[in-house]
Amino acid sequence: MTSATPPSSASGSVCDALTRLLQRTEFGLIAAIVAVVLLSAAIDTQHVYFNRPADSAINVLRQTALLGVFALGAAVVIIAGGIDLSSGSVIAFSGTVCGLVMLKLAPDEMRQGLPVGMPVMAAAIAATLIVGSLIGSLHTWLITVVGLPPFVATLATLVGLRSLGRALIAHFNSGSSQIQIFDERFRYLSTSVWIPVVLFVVLAAGVWVLMARTVVGRHLYALGGNESAARLSGIRTDRLKWLAYSLSAVLSAIAGILYTCEVATADPEKLGKGYELNAIAAAVVGGCSLLGGTGTIPGAVLGVLFLRVVIDGVAKIIKRSADIYEGLIVGVVVVVAVAFTQLRQAGRRGQRVLGGPLGIVTIVNLAVLTGLLVTLFGQDYGVDGRVIGGVALVVLILGRLLEGRSAAVKPP
Amino acid sequence: MTPLISILKVTKRFPGVVALDRVSFDVLPGELHAIVGENGAGKSTLMKILSGVIPDFEGELRLRGQAVRFADARSAEKHGIRIIHQELNLVENLSAAANVFLGREKRNRWGLLDDRGMARATADLLQQLECHISPSQLVRTLRVGDQQLIEIAKALAVETDILIMDEPTSALTEAEAARLFRIIGRLRQRGVTILYISHKLEEVFSLADRITVLRDGRLVQMLNRHETNVRAVTHLMVGREIEAMDLGTGRQAGAIVMEVRDLCLPWPGHARAWRLQNISFALRRGEILGIAGLMGAGRTELLECLFGASSETPTGSVLLEGRSVRFAHPWEARAAGIALVTEDRKRLGLFANLSAGANVSICTLERAALGGLVRPRRERSLAGEAIHKLGVKTAAFETAITSLSGGNQQKAIIARWLLTKPKILLLDDPTRGVDIGAKEELYRLMDQLCREGLGIIVTSSELPELLTLCDRILVLCEGRMTAEFSRSEATEQVIMEAATRRES
Repeated sequence: MTSATPPSSASGSVCDALTRLLQRTEFGLIAAIVAVVLLSAAIDTQHVYFNRPADSAINVLRQTALLGVFALGAAVVIIAGGIDLSSGSVIAFSGTVCGLVMLKLAPDEMRQGLPVGMPVMAAAIAATLIVGSLIGSLHTWLITVVGLPPFVATLATLVGLRSLGRALIAHFNSGSSQIQIFDERFRYLSTSVWIPVVLFVVLAAGVWVLMARTVVGRHLYALGGNESAARLSGIRTDRLKWLAYSLSAVLSAIAGILYTCEVATADPEKLGKGYELNAIAAAVVGGCSLLGGTGTIPGAVLGVLFLRVVIDGVAKIIKRSADIYEGLIVGVVVVVAVAFTQLRQAGRRGQRVLGGPLGIVTIVNLAVLTGLLVTLFGQDYGVDGRVIGGVALVVLILGRLLEGRSAAVKPP
Repeated sequence: MTPLISILKVTKRFPGVVALDRVSFDVLPGELHAIVGENGAGKSTLMKILSGVIPDFEGELRLRGQAVRFADARSAEKHGIRIIHQELNLVENLSAAANVFLGREKRNRWGLLDDRGMARATADLLQQLECHISPSQLVRTLRVGDQQLIEIAKALAVETDILIMDEPTSALTEAEAARLFRIIGRLRQRGVTILYISHKLEEVFSLADRITVLRDGRLVQMLNRHETNVRAVTHLMVGREIEAMDLGTGRQAGAIVMEVRDLCLPWPGHARAWRLQNISFALRRGEILGIAGLMGAGRTELLECLFGASSETPTGSVLLEGRSVRFAHPWEARAAGIALVTEDRKRLGLFANLSAGANVSICTLERAALGGLVRPRRERSLAGEAIHKLGVKTAAFETAITSLSGGNQQKAIIARWLLTKPKILLLDDPTRGVDIGAKEELYRLMDQLCREGLGIIVTSSELPELLTLCDRILVLCEGRMTAEFSRSEATEQVIMEAATRRES
């Protein structure tokens, strides 16, 4: 992936600008998204994409918007050189807070399954956003004052907040493990097609402007690129971290409200479990380096879209819900996207990819994985995973031999 | 005699700079071969190639007539080549013995670490090196001179025929240096070939058999020590008489802009307790004040204190234009009109992920912004103006900062700070890793800025540089100020004497 510096208006010839455009991560992602859509459409025997294009697009867009809202936060924190592992639990906890505030303000309506009214809803949402910013501030305090590494600070809240949410619901909702919300208008926030999508587009545009066009954004890139140099340039890095982690937590809180609306239940046990890694994965696929300082918001948005398109494509191909496979797909996509550039560099340096004893184990690993994946996804299409696995084994062994040959030709 | 090492047309390019340009010479078995040159001449790069630290380069290396190519430092060690880097490569949290045997630990018959055996062997080695420390002492608690001996012990713990020493005396006191020279003599009796890099010519002339002079990445000449003298070698190194640069005359120092009184910087957990102790001086407008001292004397720490960037809180007082100030963060120092150009450009100065232009504008982006939004055109003209004024050679605003040469990177960082319109400019070893032509441009730039009324404090590891530039020179030794010289009083000799003056 090309390292993306914050965009600034181009100079030089049109040709230069075009080359630069073609080399960008964003362009590669768009091409990949188109390719995946076409491929899924071609393989899918029921031709869902052709028969009901609007439904399919709306479904993918809604899912993209929900994941995208907090992936934006993950991207900002990663560009600023940190990491936020807590978003899944912040989603669960903010859903809890939202439900609890409604329960407190309108206990009778909530118990009888009646609408709670706009003021209560607004108060619940406002309280949730405030709690989100408090969580972000807590992270910042732990990182900048106590001196915890971001990984540890946000790991603590990842583990702690979900549990706290469950305890709070058990305490305030007489031992029940969830809060049901019957208000149709509340549900509409998420079940309507456009609210989450428009909200996501607006937020993404806002964060994009923040990162690409403002002083603060440039300082965030500087912080991620070289924290010591940023501090020694007179940039107040602690405040920037406060902004980044708060933004991440608030965006997760917004996502938490949307997810809670979707299922009409505040259930901290199930809500957003493992989503933090999807958000980080989307940012990484979109070109954000975990070392900080590189990546763009459009890249991250396309990363989210790419992930959702792949997941949806697989669901279409296997004609079932892709829930079980979601993690598998995300894992494969991340490795393939990042490994692609890494391996290209390794090849350029003349390093062997499948050399040594680790290479032998890797060949077996990759062949078995290929066989398993084909067995899982190819069953409706009459492909035998064992055959494909065997073919992969032969190809990889050949690859190792060829690699060894070309390495031997190189000067001593 | 067949050469032990042949270096044939070795070229090494880094982005934006040719560090070595077709360098060829031979090293004979058993000789002490000195390689001299200014900073940025390519000495260290060449040694990193010889010791396998830099594996890719153009040209050829031959060892005892055989072409070799080292993939890493380990494979060079297998051929008996060891390097002692200028920046010591020790694991500070491990003991002396553990460092000596790092990567080839002794094991007992159960396959576990044989700590006692390693300690005994280390004690033997250290004894040979006249180093009286316990093998179990943690490396971070040792003085730099002793740490260096641990590096040498590490090299001697295995079969080493070729020892490369990169500026080994830059952090040593005179007594420690004398001990090192005795050890070098003993190593030579054992037949060890030594490649010795230094820019201290007295040292080179008392030790070397042959001297190779590098300048701007090229080999200028190889000389036998007996057939040459310090003057001739200096001339070859510098290429022109740098002392001939007449910069200081006619500068008029103005009013006092900063006054430092009894500045102390604590050093918790260290035997000396104070990193800096009772530093007092004044800086005037239109004056260049130099700070001299050996490595570890506290030059960088002093500048960091003045800039609010020290890790501990200093005591004492700093008056800025008569008002007492205390900076808790570099942001406050910047707002008060102080600028610091850091010593370690790559680690503390540059944003490798940003363009050259963005590196220049980073401190003053607010001025190019309207309501928080950066106006690209205004940013361009702001940065472009500063880039032009300082003569930074860069193709465009978008040029990657990492593709510029060291000198141009340094100018870009100075440009960054001049945009903040400072009253005081702190420059920490500004010509480190800068080639000679750019160095001269930097000197002229500092002179010009000084004449425009800026108060400048500059530190340097090279005394001739301070003597050329400064109106006054302060000398630090182990965190204390041991002398202050005016331009007319200062000579290399009196400064060195003050820089090594210890408390009795």
